[in-house]
This record gives sequence, structure tokens and C-alpha cells, in this order.
Amino acid sequence: MEGSRLVKEFTKGLWKEIPPFRFVLGLCPTLACTTAVRDGIGMGLCLTFVLVCSNILISLLRKVIPAQVRIACFIVVVATFVIIVELVTQAYFYPLYMALGIFIPLIVVNCIPLGRAEAFASKNPVIYSLADGLGMGLGFTCSLTALAIFREIFGKGTFLYHHIMWSGFEPFAFLQKPPGAFVCLGLMLGIMNLIGSGEK
Amino acid sequence: MEQEVWTFSDYIMLVVSGVLVNNILLIRFLGNCPFLGVSKKMDTAVGMTFGVIFVLTCTGPITWFVEHYLLEKFDIVYLETLAFILTIAVFVQLVEMVIKKVSPGLYRGLGIYLPLITTNCCILGTCFYNIRFKFGFMPTVVFSFASALGFGLALIIMAGIRERFHYARIPKCFQDTSIGLITAGLIGLSFFVFAGLAK
Amino acid sequence: MEVLKATIYPILVMGGLAAIYALGLGIAARIFYVYVDPRIAEVEEFLGGANCGGCGYAGCSDCAAAIVEGKAPVNACVAVGPDKWEAVAKILGVSVEAGERQVAMIMCRGAKDKAKRKFQYMGIEDCRAALLAGGGDKECQYGCLGLGTCVKNCPFGALSMGEDGLPKVDKDKCTGCGTCTRVCPRGIPKLVPVSLKIAVICSSHDTPPVVKKICEVGCQGCGLCKKACPEKAITIVDSLSVVDPSKCTLCGKCFEKCPTGAIQQLLPA
Repeated sequence: MEGSRLVKEFTKGLWKEIPPFRFVLGLCPTLACTTAVRDGIGMGLCLTFVLVCSNILISLLRKVIPAQVRIACFIVVVATFVIIVELVTQAYFYPLYMALGIFIPLIVVNCIPLGRAEAFASKNPVIYSLADGLGMGLGFTCSLTALAIFREIFGKGTFLYHHIMWSGFEPFAFLQKPPGAFVCLGLMLGIMNLIGSGEK
Repeated sequence: MEQEVWTFSDYIMLVVSGVLVNNILLIRFLGNCPFLGVSKKMDTAVGMTFGVIFVLTCTGPITWFVEHYLLEKFDIVYLETLAFILTIAVFVQLVEMVIKKVSPGLYRGLGIYLPLITTNCCILGTCFYNIRFKFGFMPTVVFSFASALGFGLALIIMAGIRERFHYARIPKCFQDTSIGLITAGLIGLSFFVFAGLAK
Repeated sequence: MEVLKATIYPILVMGGLAAIYALGLGIAARIFYVYVDPRIAEVEEFLGGANCGGCGYAGCSDCAAAIVEGKAPVNACVAVGPDKWEAVAKILGVSVEAGERQVAMIMCRGAKDKAKRKFQYMGIEDCRAALLAGGGDKECQYGCLGLGTCVKNCPFGALSMGEDGLPKVDKDKCTGCGTCTRVCPRGIPKLVPVSLKIAVICSSHDTPPVVKKICEVGCQGCGLCKKACPEKAITIVDSLSVVDPSKCTLCGKCFEKCPTGAIQQLLPA
């Protein structure tokens, strides 16, 4: 019984409640950090780290935090892990840090860590919060990677900064620019809804 | 954008840059979540706009103070994220309390957006940009105001268009968020017309 | 020393900042204290939650506040049933009298094949917009235009557009909030008691020769039903038949006489 619930909490973040497609949360990094596959994967993993750690800590402290100040406490916990991620990427993954820019510290106001803290981690035991965080984070990473693959291959002609398209290929530069991000995400969301409704 | 001396025309260019050329929402990608949630009707969009203009114009300079007179003095600039978000959350909470007491009418119209604005990435993002672009005090105020104005502009344009969607025949799978995003992209494309006007 | 400074300073500065903020907020909470009656939140739990506006207030929070202040009756929320009204009454310590549940009914039978059209309308799919285009595409200026404004605006999803171009009401989902009545530019949906047994399903005040020309199923105002009724329950007002349900015995004589079938017995819900 416990094992199956664990699996359920983990897998729901991978398809049924995948951010940002099903749970429309965390749109800002989805649009901004997907010009290249490396950035997409990097952003997703940073957010996964923050989400998992903050879920665990908030779940451990859930009986102790008073109700009136809970949002402020959640923000402080998430901010702490965001600062850790920021410093680590700045030290060990500098090109990624430069590419993601201010979106790493902006993970603190990303709806996903705060939303999951409020909706799940503050009400459930540690092991389920861990599974939920891991599932959502990996789902988010997959979404970002999918979008980034499309935008990089067709928008720049490269994959992980290696040229993979034939030499005469004219990259569709629109996809690399901000409006292209919006349109691309909108179309992907529409297609996901189509697939999802077909399942029902 | 580092400058020692700012002339009036520099400020005008900063406003043009913040509102049109580098619109905080459509070009810089900040503030998307409330953008799609609140832009379904015009009156909610206007309420959100005024809320963001007020909060951002105040918190921009306040966080600037915190950075330059507190964090730099003690060499703990790496705690910027924590200090800023704490300041913003506290400020918004204070404003909400004051409005609720002083003007219940204003609270009904505007107050419900204030908690939403706390986690709005465009507030924190603009505060970060003020530091990254190494602005002095006055440029910080102007840039914060201009960013908020740009956010409001994009939001109101979007609300105006989205109200018409009610009468259009949109396929079921594209309704709501999906068509909203595509529309936002097309509006952003029209903002490209301003590129090159300012840095 | 450096390590000590690097550890102590952040703790002191952030702790100090947090303490100042906490103090400030605590003081502000005292100065700007607003008393909110806790019963308002309790009452709001039992209201519809759809912000349909049927109570006449701007949303459920507003209605809850009005009920607690005594400005609105306990059964102000039309979207919920007598059991919720009783719960609200219990919170406030008063009693409530139950009224009868009302549902919407579309007072038009002018389907696509039964009522004549003046022209083909190809505009915005909204009855209010269609009305601006030369008074709508239907010959009958009282009839349902069939573009679904009521369907789109129903907060409870109780309306759906039928194949024949007329909206259909799901009596189980309909709460009688009246949004469809307000939104329809011709006021065709009417709120009726759920146990209504007989009705004239037409809104046309046109004279008999006009109705005969433009609609196969409309009430012409010919008066045959009025003559047939043994209880004198029917009157003709402005060329439209009106039934008094309290006098009607469901004898069925009016149904037999009606040339278009506009007056009908309503099947039990």
C-alpha cells in the first residue's frame, strides 16, 4: 500500500500533473531558458534540486511552522536552497550560470516550489514529499528539454551546441526569439491537451 | 547601461526601453503566471496593473537601499536573493494591511492582487536588473516604474484581445492557456517593431 | 577571523533584518487592525461558490458579508438548496422558510426548421451581437436566435445547444440563478418553479396573421385555448396566451385545441 502510493506520487509529476503543461506553473523559466538544450536541462535540474530539498525540509518542519507565517517561512527555506544552487553553478558550471542569468535566483518566486510546499509538503510525510518533488522536478526538466530540443534544432540548427543539420539549412530564427518561445509553448500545450483528451 | 551622469533624455530613453523595446513581459519573460491568469477580463487586468505599478515603484528603490547600504557594507551580497524576497514580501504585507484599514473600497478593487504580486517574478526580476545594470538611485526609480508600465501595457492589450475570444470558435484543445500563449507571442512580435530605438 | 566574520555577519545581518521586519509587521498589525466577523467565512462555506451573481451581490464573499450583517436574507443564495440555507441559519441563530426551487425554461420552440429566417447571419457567435445586425436573422422579433449566449454564460454548465438551434436546460444542474435570463438579449429563458405542470412555450406578442406566416410552432394569440378551458385559467395578453397554473386542472382540453402546439403539458422532472 505504501509502496504503491510512493510510486503514484512520483509518477504523477511525470505525466498527469506535469508542470508546465498540465499544471500551468513555472512559465517564466520555461520560456526564457529553452533557447538551447543544455540550458533547458540545466534549469530543470536546478529547479529539481531546490524543489526536492525544500519539500523535504518543509515536510520535516510542517508540524512546527505556525499557520500565520507559513508563506514567509516557505519563502525563506526555498530562498536558502536557491542561493546554494546559485553559488554552486557560479563556481562549477560558469557557462550555464551566464546563460541562465537572473532566472536562477528567480527560482525562489517560481510557482512550483512554493505551490508544492503549500499544497503538498506542508501536509504530507517526508518520503511522499520527496517523491512528489522528484517527480515534479523531473517532469519539469523533461518539458523544458522537449521544448529546448525543438527550439534549438530548428531555431539554430545545433544540438548541445554541435551542428547537426545539413549545411544548406536555414535556421528558423523566430523560434530563438521571445515571441517564438510563446508561440512554440502555446502550440505544444495545445498538442498535449489534444493527446490528453484523446486518452480520456 | 552604466553611466555617471544621467541627462533627461537618458531617462526618456530608459522609459522607452523599459516599456517598449525590452518589454518586461513579452521580451524579458518576467511575470507570465499572473499574466495568463488575470488577463481574461479587463477589470482584473487594470487592477493588477495598478497593483504592480505601485509595488514595483516602491520596492525597486527599497531593495536598492538594502543592497547598497546593508549587503555591500557587510560583504554578504550573495544573500541578495533572500534579502530581496523578504523585503518585498514584508512590504506587500504592510501595504495590504494599510489599504484594508484605510480604504476598504480600494482593498476590494486592488487588495486581492497584492498577495499574487509578492510572487510575481517581474517584481523580483526588476529588482535584480537594477543591480545588474548598476543603476544609481534615480535611474532605479525610473526603470522600476517603466518596467511596471510595460507589464501593465502588455497585460491590458492581452485582456482586450482575450475578451473577444469568448465569441470565437477556438478548438477545444487550444482554449484558455494555449491560445493565450500564442497570442502573447504574436503581440510580442509586434513589439519587435521598436527594436533598435534604445538599448 | 575571516571565517568568523563570514559566518557571524550573515546571521547577524539577516537575523537583524528579519527581526526588524517582524517587529514592524507586528506593530502595523496592531495599528491597522480590522475586525472581520469570523462568521462571514463560515457562512461563505455554505454558499454556491460560483460567483454567479444570482443573489444580486458581487460574488459569494459579498453575499456572505451581507447575510451576516443582516442586509440579505438567509436564503439569498439561489444556487444552493434548503439544506445549505438551514446550515447558514444555524450559524446565525435564526430560522429559515424554504421557498420552492426554480429552474430556467426556454420559452421558444422556433427551431431552425420551424421558424423562418430573414437572411443568413455570418457574424460573431453571440445573440447580443446578432441582434445588432438588423434585429437578428429570425423573422420573429421575439424568438430565440440560437447562437448560445445563454449556454456560454451559464456558471453551472446547465445549458447546452441542441441540434435544432434551441438551448436545452438540464434541470438537475440548473440552480435558478437567473444568469441566462439577464444575459439573453430577448429575455427568452424564464425562471419557473420546478414543479410547473403547464406552460405556453412562446414569447411572441405578434398578431395571429403575422405568426402564421413566420413560425409553425408559435403562439398566435388566436384564443382557442381560452375558449376551451373549463376553469377559465387562460387569458390572452397582447396576443400571447397566459395560463394561471393555480386554476389549471390539467384536463387537457387546451392542448387539443391549440393549432400549433404552443401550449404544452410539462413532463415531470
